[in-house]
Amino acid sequence: MGVKLLLEHDKVEGIRYYDTYRKNGGYRAAEKALKMSPADIVEEVKKSGLRGRGGAGFPTGLKWSFLAKPEGVPRHLVCNADESEPGTFKDRYLMEFHPHLFIEGLLISSFALGSNTTYVYIRGEYAWIPDILEQAIDEAKNNGWLGKNIQGTGFDCEIYVHRGAGAYICGEETALIESLEGKRGNPRMKPPFPAIQGVWMRPTVVNNVETLAAVVPIINLGGDEYAKIGVGKSTGTKLMSACGNINKPGVYEIDMTISVEEFIYSDEYCGGIRNGKKLKACIPGGSSVPILPANLLLKTAKGETRLMNYESMSDGGFVSGSMIGSGGFEVLDEDQCIVKHTMTLARFYNHESCGQCSPCREGTGWMYKILKNLEYGKGKMSDIDLLWDIQRKIEGNTICPLGDAAAWPVAAAIRHFRDEFEWHVLNPDESQKRNYGLAHYADPIHVAASA
Amino acid sequence: MSKQYYVESKPAAGGVISGNGMKADAKVAYVDDKPYEVKEGETILSLIRRHFGKGAVPTLCDAPNLEPFGSCRVCSVDVALSKGGPVKTMASCHTPVIPGSFIYPESDRVQKLRKNIIELVLTDHPLDCLTCEVNNNCELQEVAARVGIRDVRYPEGKTHLDKKKDLSHAYMTSDFSKCINCFRCVRACDEVQGQFVLSMGGRGFDSHIIKGMEVNFKDSDCVSCGACAQACPTSAISDIFESKSIQVDEKVRTVCTYCGVGCNLEVAVKGGKIKSIQAPYEAETNQGHTCLKGRFAFAFYNHKDRLRTPLIKKNGEFVEATWEEAYDHIATKLTEIKNKYGGDAIAGISSSRGTNEENYLMQKFIRAVMGTNNIDCCARVCHSPTAIGMQRSFGTGAATNSIKDIKLTDCILVIGANPTDGHPVTGAKLKQFAISGKTSIVIDPRRTELAKYATYHLQLRPGTNMAIMNMMLYYIISEGLEDKNFIEKRTEGYEEFKQEILGQNIDELEAICGVDKNLVREAAIAYAKAPNAMEFHGLGVTEHSQGTHTIMMISSLAMITGNVGRPGVGVNPLRGQNNVQGSADMGCQPYQGAGYFEVSDPVYHKKYEEFYNAKLPNYNGLKIPQMYEAALNDKLKAMWVIGEDMAQTDPNTHHVVNALSKLELFVVQELFMTETAKLATVILPASSFLEKSGTFTNGERRIQRVNAVVAPIEGTKSDGQVMVDIMNRMGYKQPELYDPEWVLEEISQIVPFFEGVKWDELGGDGKQWPVNKEGKGTDILHTETFKRGKGKFIHNNYKKSKELVENEKQYPYIITTNRELEHYNCGAMTRRTNNVLIVTDDVLMINPVDAAKHQIVDGDMVCVESPRGKVDVKAKITDEVKPGILSSTFHFPEVMMNNITSSVSDSEAMCPEYKVVACNIRKSKGEYKKPKATV
Repeated sequence: MGVKLLLEHDKVEGIRYYDTYRKNGGYRAAEKALKMSPADIVEEVKKSGLRGRGGAGFPTGLKWSFLAKPEGVPRHLVCNADESEPGTFKDRYLMEFHPHLFIEGLLISSFALGSNTTYVYIRGEYAWIPDILEQAIDEAKNNGWLGKNIQGTGFDCEIYVHRGAGAYICGEETALIESLEGKRGNPRMKPPFPAIQGVWMRPTVVNNVETLAAVVPIINLGGDEYAKIGVGKSTGTKLMSACGNINKPGVYEIDMTISVEEFIYSDEYCGGIRNGKKLKACIPGGSSVPILPANLLLKTAKGETRLMNYESMSDGGFVSGSMIGSGGFEVLDEDQCIVKHTMTLARFYNHESCGQCSPCREGTGWMYKILKNLEYGKGKMSDIDLLWDIQRKIEGNTICPLGDAAAWPVAAAIRHFRDEFEWHVLNPDESQKRNYGLAHYADPIHVAASA
Repeated sequence: MSKQYYVESKPAAGGVISGNGMKADAKVAYVDDKPYEVKEGETILSLIRRHFGKGAVPTLCDAPNLEPFGSCRVCSVDVALSKGGPVKTMASCHTPVIPGSFIYPESDRVQKLRKNIIELVLTDHPLDCLTCEVNNNCELQEVAARVGIRDVRYPEGKTHLDKKKDLSHAYMTSDFSKCINCFRCVRACDEVQGQFVLSMGGRGFDSHIIKGMEVNFKDSDCVSCGACAQACPTSAISDIFESKSIQVDEKVRTVCTYCGVGCNLEVAVKGGKIKSIQAPYEAETNQGHTCLKGRFAFAFYNHKDRLRTPLIKKNGEFVEATWEEAYDHIATKLTEIKNKYGGDAIAGISSSRGTNEENYLMQKFIRAVMGTNNIDCCARVCHSPTAIGMQRSFGTGAATNSIKDIKLTDCILVIGANPTDGHPVTGAKLKQFAISGKTSIVIDPRRTELAKYATYHLQLRPGTNMAIMNMMLYYIISEGLEDKNFIEKRTEGYEEFKQEILGQNIDELEAICGVDKNLVREAAIAYAKAPNAMEFHGLGVTEHSQGTHTIMMISSLAMITGNVGRPGVGVNPLRGQNNVQGSADMGCQPYQGAGYFEVSDPVYHKKYEEFYNAKLPNYNGLKIPQMYEAALNDKLKAMWVIGEDMAQTDPNTHHVVNALSKLELFVVQELFMTETAKLATVILPASSFLEKSGTFTNGERRIQRVNAVVAPIEGTKSDGQVMVDIMNRMGYKQPELYDPEWVLEEISQIVPFFEGVKWDELGGDGKQWPVNKEGKGTDILHTETFKRGKGKFIHNNYKKSKELVENEKQYPYIITTNRELEHYNCGAMTRRTNNVLIVTDDVLMINPVDAAKHQIVDGDMVCVESPRGKVDVKAKITDEVKPGILSSTFHFPEVMMNNITSSVSDSEAMCPEYKVVACNIRKSKGEYKKPKATV
């Protein structure tokens, strides 16, 4: 059993209610933090090496230290609970089953950042979760953990839960801010960064749910102790939401020292591929990170065992690696068609593009159209190159990272599975009747050439 | 620009860079490996454009008057932080230059990217360029040609090419099959006009521009400013005049004739006819913006109703005449009257719509040829109290600052003005200011558009400006917020003033104006505490019996807080007509000649006599209301009016009509058969602003060149030519041909603040007077000292209007008059354009409480009765007015709202009190009936 920090009390019945949570050591970190100075809390978080759990993995302490503190201007902490990345559902799990852990994290972070009004921007499709959160917020308030003069410290903090309206783009922090302000959720240009001008042009920190929850164990353990868990710059624990063709889909807390192989095959985690099938490919960190064929997933191009952490997962860059991203771990078995899978993702990004930047607005549409042609046996060989060309023009050429998110899955699919695309073009009829199958992807290590 | 945290910035490379003429410590960035100086906070695009010209980088979503947006990505360039370092592609329009970085605007990668983006855009664009309105003037076409698109590789797919055109609106059109989703129209609507009509609906591929709640232009809240059409890079949004088409012979820059903002217009002409109008981006007054009057309401100029031949009234009927006959008739009559009754039996009313040159000639004609000071102009009925009041307080009756100062101020105070309707371009700027959340104070009996966005709205009872002013000054003094330093150094009369103010009974004043004194206090404190506060006012201040007094109090408010003489402050009247400033500057008032010298002052009397080489009276002439009295008393026999419709717009219509009907000779120079023209004995058909040249002086004292766009409509003459002709005819020799150049030359010799004004040197943006000998203008007045030396504090108490004292018992309601965006004053021009399709009639604003009391529903005809008469007008139930208060426009002669307005006028300037009329209302019994006032 690995270390459990966030899901330590996962099996405790009633942990989502205040009394049980409190009895199990809840709000201990808050007690401790409220006696510390805000700067010290930021220091502890810096020491912990905590990296943003939303996907980009930006060091949280560093982000907090960027927050501008002009005289007389309120600052805000905004929690990004717009968990919309396909395959990712760890934040939902935390909010649904451990709301007080989350609120405790929000409280400590609000105190550290000086946010008297903190917002939780929650995904619209999580329709039932705001009720759970609001109930927990009420409980916390009734027990003096929110509201005016919290625990006699003189610190005031209100937490508001704001429902999104069902747009993936609002998971992007500046689009989220626009949406929170009541506007159309279009990303903003940067600079200015939210740390300088965020919600209502006030300094703002936007953090993921898991990141803020992780502040609780950091305070409990101390930053240095927290940093000892894990390996290298991947400190602490990470929640993974595993799904796809595995025996035990679900949310798992890992300590980032385990190997990918262990995560997929051990009974503690995914429990192996369902129905005894073979592993074909995997998207290790949410739908937008590059897909990896089985051989590159389990071992890096250098032949080392790939571990479930930030560094190891991205070993080899995008040529032969991927990203731990948001922790949405999607496993594909030998029966899955990569072209169809890519098309599904392209359809998603086409649907979710906000339409602001021309490369993404038009490009995602054409990627989907071309992939549809390929999938349904109407593609041409030149379409594969065109697809490659479009994604190249989207990546890095949009205001927000959604453009990249739309481009990467297509790029990786062509990079690693080009022969499957070509097979679709060459065998239009057969491709409608059967899948390409496993081919060589599960073979011992084969280094894919850069495309 | 804010600090950039996530990108590590490198110090400027090198240090001393020789051979480029740059300062040794200048920050530099490298474009194609050559160093260029970087300005603080500028974007990559601005750097490249500054050094390589406007077309150096192709763009689609960028527009000259909009904030960077970064959506089209066509402006992308490659940037490396060090030479040979890793290269990243960045959108140049919104990325600040990192000093020391290496920029490659035309790398292969960037070129491919641009090409691919345009190719993607073209997949959803109809390629019907040859038949498109904007062919050869299309930014997409231009960029596509530039990046070298030869074919589109994408297969057939779903497109938006079947979108329907929207032709619902009187002016605006849209064809969204041509939309490239650049957001320029949305941003223009938001950032320039502040109307928020356009927005983006749907997302991704389904993104589409929507108007209001997905309605058409007509049903939306569009104010038809046309900013979106001008901003649109294709023909997705345009107007019925196809203003973006290059199928024109020439484009002439001139100045709008509607309000005192003085927007520059670019008028397209084809085949000798005006095709369309756009606003030049580089114009200082309007930066590419204008309102629907400036942009679209030009169709009046060749309307079939235009008067095209002189008319002489014989036996009550107008008979067509030649110009010679008309001149003969006039000259004979004038000589006869002058000989018989003396020059003072003759009077002239000049037009603030005309040019400076024409106004100058008119007053010269009346003074030098007719030998009387009976010359006035329509400033009498609008800003005459401003001129007198500010002259007394500061020494100059003109705006102290410039409109561009709105960008520099921290607080705006808008009194008795509705700029979003009356001065739409300045109004839009003020609205943007208020929307941005900065301190804005509106004092107005109506909840105007601006009031809705303002921090403080003091909704006073009409006619109680003086009460509010006394209250504000009281709070500023009692809170100790006065600028003692400024008061001591720059002003006089303060101690006495202070005692008067502190002696005010605040509770009494509160009851009079009907505004919570705490709100007044807060607003006063906000104004006084703002580092820079700027005041604007309109006719809601001047058209009162205490107009001049209020102006002096406003001036005192500015002085007591030290808000005079630097950028972002001052007292700034929003001038109503395009040249109301100029007509006063030129001497069209009975007590001051050109350049504001008193006609009764022996020194200046002599100066004028010498300059005009004529005998002039040394006493003041008649103001307009006095002229009516004189006519009724048979003292005034002849009147000459240029382009003013007093019968519709002056108050107490019966009185005016009776007076004008008694004249022996009544010459009217007009474009149309107005209510006044109908009373004339001779009508001379005039040319409109589009047909003549000259200068207009706008509300910020900016003398701008008006350039003839087309030849005068056949049979008409410019007012200037008529003046020259008649002076010559009556033996006062002038050059045969009217030309603004020689007139301006003459003006510069007599009007001191025009000293350095030369026709050829005015350029596109003109100059703000005073213009010194070297030709340098002035954007801020009273910087070191006031014109009169020290600024003077002058106090007056609130005094109830005579109108209310006499009539409020029988007539318990107060009706005040206002303007609509779509129409201009008597509407002679705007009613002959498509503007009538947008606003079709005058309406009476009435509070729901009053409406319920009289069982009036929206659209009912209401009879409004005052001691002078009654009118029937359509009701519009709205909470824009408080109970007991009514408001209406007088743009339409069918209503003749001025039948009920009173002859009460400002005690000093005789500006009529249009804003306070005691009246009563009832639901009209009959159907709509035409008022019987007109002859």
